[in-house]
Amino acid sequence: MASQLPEPIVEQTYYLNMGPQHPSTHGVLRLFLKLDGEYIIEADPIVGYGHRGHEKMAESHLYEQFLPNTSRMDYLSGLLFNHGYVAAVEKMTGIEVPPRAEYIRIICAELNRISSHLLWFGTYIMDLGGFTPFLYAFDDREIILDILDRITGSRLTYSYCRFGGVAKDVDDEFIRATREFIGRLRSRWEDYHNLVTKNVIFIHRTKGVGVINRETAIRFGCTGPVLRGAGVAYDIRRAEPYSVYPELEFEIPTGAAGDAFDRYMVRFQEMEQSLRIIEQALERLPEGPIRGRAPRKVRPRKGDFYFAVESARGAVGFYIVSDGTGYPYRLKVRSPSLSNLQVLTETLSGTLVADTISILGSVDIVVPEIDR
Amino acid sequence: MADKKVAPGPIVHVAVLEDILNLFRANSLWPMTFGLACCAIEMMAAGASRFDLDRFGAGVFRPSPRQSDVMIVAGTISRKMAPTIVTLWEQMPAPKWCVAMGNCAISGGPFEYDGQYAIVPGAHLIVPVDVYVPGCPPRPEGLIQGLLLLQDKITKGEKRNVLRRFQRGARSAA
Amino acid sequence: MSFDDFKEGLGALLEPSAVRPTDFGKRGYSLEVTAKRDQVEPIARAAREADLFLEAMTAVDFADAFQVIYLYNAFAAGSRAQVRVAVKKGESLPTVSTVYDAALWHEREVFDLFGIPFDNHPDLRRLLLPEDADFHPLRKDFGKVHGVRSTDEIYGEPTA
Repeated sequence: MASQLPEPIVEQTYYLNMGPQHPSTHGVLRLFLKLDGEYIIEADPIVGYGHRGHEKMAESHLYEQFLPNTSRMDYLSGLLFNHGYVAAVEKMTGIEVPPRAEYIRIICAELNRISSHLLWFGTYIMDLGGFTPFLYAFDDREIILDILDRITGSRLTYSYCRFGGVAKDVDDEFIRATREFIGRLRSRWEDYHNLVTKNVIFIHRTKGVGVINRETAIRFGCTGPVLRGAGVAYDIRRAEPYSVYPELEFEIPTGAAGDAFDRYMVRFQEMEQSLRIIEQALERLPEGPIRGRAPRKVRPRKGDFYFAVESARGAVGFYIVSDGTGYPYRLKVRSPSLSNLQVLTETLSGTLVADTISILGSVDIVVPEIDR
Repeated sequence: MADKKVAPGPIVHVAVLEDILNLFRANSLWPMTFGLACCAIEMMAAGASRFDLDRFGAGVFRPSPRQSDVMIVAGTISRKMAPTIVTLWEQMPAPKWCVAMGNCAISGGPFEYDGQYAIVPGAHLIVPVDVYVPGCPPRPEGLIQGLLLLQDKITKGEKRNVLRRFQRGARSAA
Repeated sequence: MSFDDFKEGLGALLEPSAVRPTDFGKRGYSLEVTAKRDQVEPIARAAREADLFLEAMTAVDFADAFQVIYLYNAFAAGSRAQVRVAVKKGESLPTVSTVYDAALWHEREVFDLFGIPFDNHPDLRRLLLPEDADFHPLRKDFGKVHGVRSTDEIYGEPTA
């Protein structure tokens, strides 16, 4: 009599929908996960829940009218996007920017980069379960916002860069407050490292998690801290220098393993390098006008132009096709978060659901920049 | 001396109970984390250390709609997202309120023009809105003012909110 | 493994008139390549061999045809190349997602916004618009635009 072996138990794959409303507050991202128990077989990020039609708006708006849109694409690096767009149009039109305005743009851009990294730091640790660094990081960030609010008039969505320079001049109070802030933030590094970086839970949740190596980064076109965490020292500020970056000394931090911890350390070191840049720029800030001569309605030359800047998330590119009128014919914004998010289709397979949040947070995306 | 005619009152007095419940509801509004775009950052800043929302009882951001009282629609509503917003609104248990934060949630904001194809110009088109907080983005103080206005709407007046004197820093919302 | 290797690889695939060096300061890229439909994938392979990455991909709608634009870049200074392909309305392009995974989403975006299909793309669905949308917004016959031009008005004479 043959013994009947029991039927093997077949696990059913389970489909889990994360978002588009979920507490990680990275924006409206929907992750469609195909799970086998706790392991992810396939992850499909579904974007488009924040699509506002920026590129179509550009085709019926003047270049000046499109300027506020640039800040709202990646609202955490609003000034960096502003700078990129304005510099692209200036180069196409042949508008000269006075040196004082260039230095002011750099100082504000680096302050914006620090505030973006501080917010990322606070929300990343909050996602992992620690609420305290969020409060400290936002406290520091509020000081940056106060400084920028005084001269730009806005806390988050700036339209401070104008064609030919900046909108308003900085005064001694700005310089004093920025210097004070640099000292204050430098004294905070030790607190942050003691609170987070040396925390054993944090290390376990980030070391070895979400490895994105150089090959993967090239295949997906990643830039920014994701690429630098993988060991490639590629930064637009050094590769295609713009504004006054060639005159300033700073390093490009890189990681070795490409895991979440490396990306975390890269961003921390980037904050310190940004402080160095701001210090040097404040020392060298020249006197002079803050606005060059620009026509009331800019009409770039016919043809196309691609201009890249380094935002907090990676290389932002503005590809402008102009037909010689005051309206862009086509304005394409190369979004770093789109390439950085796409990596997750590969990196998330085989990981645990609990690691998904850690990996997603370490890649640092802003969804309205993907959706434009 | 004429007899005073006294109309018989209700047998079960619930008005006082309702007032007390409204007092409690107003001072412990639990918002749902519903940031769509840039206004979400100012909402987070309003809940963070400088502009603490917790002192108004509203600092507990619940991720689940089933545990929250107020939905703060912070950001632009895209057409792809609109059905999700309606679903979330319907999942919230009554009594529930909605705050439209930011110009995009009020009227489409800077994205509304006559060729716009991708957004819903205003949260009032899909959910009933109680308080509108203008700004692009509104300052966290603006959001706090909006929440205090909502509290007054719930208690039907600032004077009836006896706990207001304990909310340090809250001036008249109107 | 560098930009010069890429130029060599291009020289083997295309005629010399289709590969033009440009002024990086004026255009933002140092090589301008006009390709035909069936050269798109070999060019992508040449870029991959030379260790370039696909930085961006987009399309522009003109009165006569679409221009699909690929931007490749290397991890060095001033080494961006633009590859331009003319696509008539209704035509499709071969996919480069077998070479660069980045193209999976870039091509989905181009399909979504312009309606240009890509052959052999494993998963060609819309990226930004709702799944059931029936329009392609960045075409010039949709919505509000300032004007429609033809390709040679903008790309006509190479302005190096």
